[in-house]
Amino acid sequence: MAGATQSQLVEQETSGTDAVAAAAVGVSAILFVLSILALFERITLTDPIAGLPTVTLLGGLLVVLGGTVMGFGVGSRLGYVETDPSTSAGLIASFAAAVPWFVVGGGVASETLGLGAAGGLVAGLLTGGLAFVATALPREDLGSTVPIGALPVLTGLVFLTGTIGPGWIWNLGWEQPASFTAEFVVPTVTLFNALFAGWAAAKAYGGFGARGRHMGAYTLVYLNALSIVAFLFILVAFVVVQGIPGVLTGVQVGAGVGPESTIFGLTFSWPISVPFVMNGVALLNDYQGVLPAIVGTFWLVVGAVLFAVPLGVGAAIFLTEYAERGRFTQIVEIATNGLWSTPSIVFGLFGFAFLVPRFGNQKSLLAGMLTLGFMLLPLVVITSREAMIAVPDEYRDASAALGVSRWQTIRSVVLPAALPGVVTGVILGVGRIAGETAPILLTMAGGTFVPGGQTVDVVGGFQFTATPPFVANPELLQATSALPYQLFALITAGVGLGQNVADPDGFRWATALVLLIVVLSFYAIGIGTRYYFRRQLRHE
Amino acid sequence: MASVTESEGTGLGGATRRQIQRVRDFADDTEPAALVTVTVMAIALLAAFVGFLLVSSLTIVPFAVFLLAAGYGWLRHQGPTAQVLTLTMTVSTLLILGLIIVFIFIEAVPVIRYESATVFGVSVPGLRMFIETRWDAVSDPVRYSMVPMIHGTLLVTVIATAVAAPLGVAAALFLSEIAPATVRELVKPGVEILAGIPSIVYGFIGFTVLAPWASDQFDLTGQGTYLFVGVVVGLMALPTVVSVAEDALSSVPESMKSGSLAMGTTDWQTMTSITLPAAFSGVSAAVLLGVGRAIGETMAATVMLRGVPRLTDPLVNVFYGQETLTSLIARNYGEADGLQMDALFAAGVILFITVLVISIGSQYIEWRMRRTLGGEV
Repeated sequence: MAGATQSQLVEQETSGTDAVAAAAVGVSAILFVLSILALFERITLTDPIAGLPTVTLLGGLLVVLGGTVMGFGVGSRLGYVETDPSTSAGLIASFAAAVPWFVVGGGVASETLGLGAAGGLVAGLLTGGLAFVATALPREDLGSTVPIGALPVLTGLVFLTGTIGPGWIWNLGWEQPASFTAEFVVPTVTLFNALFAGWAAAKAYGGFGARGRHMGAYTLVYLNALSIVAFLFILVAFVVVQGIPGVLTGVQVGAGVGPESTIFGLTFSWPISVPFVMNGVALLNDYQGVLPAIVGTFWLVVGAVLFAVPLGVGAAIFLTEYAERGRFTQIVEIATNGLWSTPSIVFGLFGFAFLVPRFGNQKSLLAGMLTLGFMLLPLVVITSREAMIAVPDEYRDASAALGVSRWQTIRSVVLPAALPGVVTGVILGVGRIAGETAPILLTMAGGTFVPGGQTVDVVGGFQFTATPPFVANPELLQATSALPYQLFALITAGVGLGQNVADPDGFRWATALVLLIVVLSFYAIGIGTRYYFRRQLRHE
Repeated sequence: MASVTESEGTGLGGATRRQIQRVRDFADDTEPAALVTVTVMAIALLAAFVGFLLVSSLTIVPFAVFLLAAGYGWLRHQGPTAQVLTLTMTVSTLLILGLIIVFIFIEAVPVIRYESATVFGVSVPGLRMFIETRWDAVSDPVRYSMVPMIHGTLLVTVIATAVAAPLGVAAALFLSEIAPATVRELVKPGVEILAGIPSIVYGFIGFTVLAPWASDQFDLTGQGTYLFVGVVVGLMALPTVVSVAEDALSSVPESMKSGSLAMGTTDWQTMTSITLPAAFSGVSAAVLLGVGRAIGETMAATVMLRGVPRLTDPLVNVFYGQETLTSLIARNYGEADGLQMDALFAAGVILFITVLVISIGSQYIEWRMRRTLGGEV
């Protein structure tokens, strides 16, 4: 936001009472972490933590947390704590308090007291409404702490008294059976309590009023951003940890251990051998691998880019440089955006109905390439257009003033200036389509286990024939595998997998890891390119 | 650059007249030799396209002529050739959308005919797909009802939106208004990378980790719940919401925010009372686009669901995941033929129309927001 807010004018000394509120925020953070750990079964409800049973510990902490929050609010109302509250906590806080109390009231009335759904609804509305009023009517320091602080106190007491213990279970009694178990309910309820109470405590720490709300909201927003980043890291790390053993089975380093390659007539052996990415699947292989799928993905991407990039950039040139802004450009814009959000499986269906019959009535690499090209096209058009619109009109005017024709201007002024944006957009788009499974499922996919001998060789496959269409490339017209499809096939193959590979699970995870590496390296290159061009711009 | 021309005629007639005028201008401005080349190019390309549509093996001939003409034109008359080439490229993007519509509709026609139902003595094609709940492609009576899949897609989408919308908007606020520059430079690529993780990888993790865990936690028979498919799909739609909402938030003019801050408000007050209301339509367009992504998500759903097309019992039982429109197609394309394959296309048609409507709706909202904000600057 505006730079002026960087310096804080109101800088209060941390007093003892502030420390209480800060401690409450800290307790909610601890509860948050504990409940996440319990959800992922890193800690179990039956094993004690530091000598205390887990549920008792959580309950105790919740009571302490709720009590602190309520106590702070009451203390502020009685004037023991110096704060700056508004007259009311506001509508958002009131709704935030009403919703959990509605759930509590409704749940207790319908299930514990056995009043049924209607009774639950009435009771829920009653307690929810009460919480709403209790939040909205009193001064903010009471309103934003007491109803929300009472929630963890209640939950904590339920845990402490053992009403909900480690063995608790609530069968929903549905036709398709489902139950809430303590393993799920205890951590989840604790998590929500920690969030609500942490929010209230952060508001209290900010001294209520505008500053308090700022503090409360920022706490949640920062937590959200942090969680997203943490989620990303955990996801990637998990795949890496699970996949590494599979990828590294049978790795050898040393002169001449790898497969032989011939480049420009020069034959040599690689000094490193990674069977998983250098082999196909064969009966006599020591280690099985996914080389055909990797090569298939490579050619898919090349084909899609060769199709979509010239077409997309051309269309963008016409739209920004030649066409008058009017109904036609508007329709094209709507169409490209519509294409961009079209589900990938629909592209697959289209490829199946339109392309497959036209390429020999069987699934083929070429059909897969074009289908992915169709998917990539709208993205190329959109990003290239943005990049070209961003080129200042002064460039074009200056060029036109020199008497240069329009096309010359586009070629030597607009395109070079727009190049960074176009390149970045294309790379990010490629990363997206490289991981797509659904479209190639219907148009290209081959078998689950592809022998190394079936690795596609597009360049060597071209032949000339005497009958039309005169050029043929059987390699392009054959079904082949690609990494995302391979992973899908491995998942759905299920039990039969064990006959072909020694360690099916390791093989799957390794495939997932290789796919992730391929896709994320496109993203890394794309983001890196953007930084490079941006720095170039700053230097100029 | 291109400016809006207030034309003499309005409506379709005026537009056509203007187009003819522009073509005439182009013909007048261009040398005759170039004009011939360009015309040959256009006709050859058209012929190649028709040949391709008719599955003719002679398609290559007009296409070669087109390539030759384009090559010649590029060397001798670069300007006009480039203009016509880029025009054909633009038209081809439109053409692809048109072809998608035509082809998936044509393939779906037989099953729509088969699933006719009679209402008040009038036979309405396709109606039975929506009033019965039976999907059975094998045993009599063979029925292809879309209701179970629509129900599944609806549940997944609602859950996904509940995950993606609040988290996404909060993250967008963080990126566009709150985060210090260095933090933003780290978080933003993170969100982009999140968008790049292939859906099959999400599905694989969901299948191996989340599904057994959920069965254990809720005492379910078998694996596959709409609840966690929805959560996973929501996380996958999150980056879309974040990036579009962030664009909307940062398009609010800085002067509006500064004006509010100058009144002595906190950053948060400015956000809730100035930035968010001003960008509200853009943010809702972002959520809509996220919904569109969630509806179309295929692989994670396919891998994590049970693949038995039926309604859950009771309807709100989100702990059992049967089938969505997308996963139906991805699971059954292999063994399907005849009517069943056409039924898959019917599912595709429903998906396509829904998402297209959402896309156009969000574009309309964004367009309106740009106009309003543009007027106030």
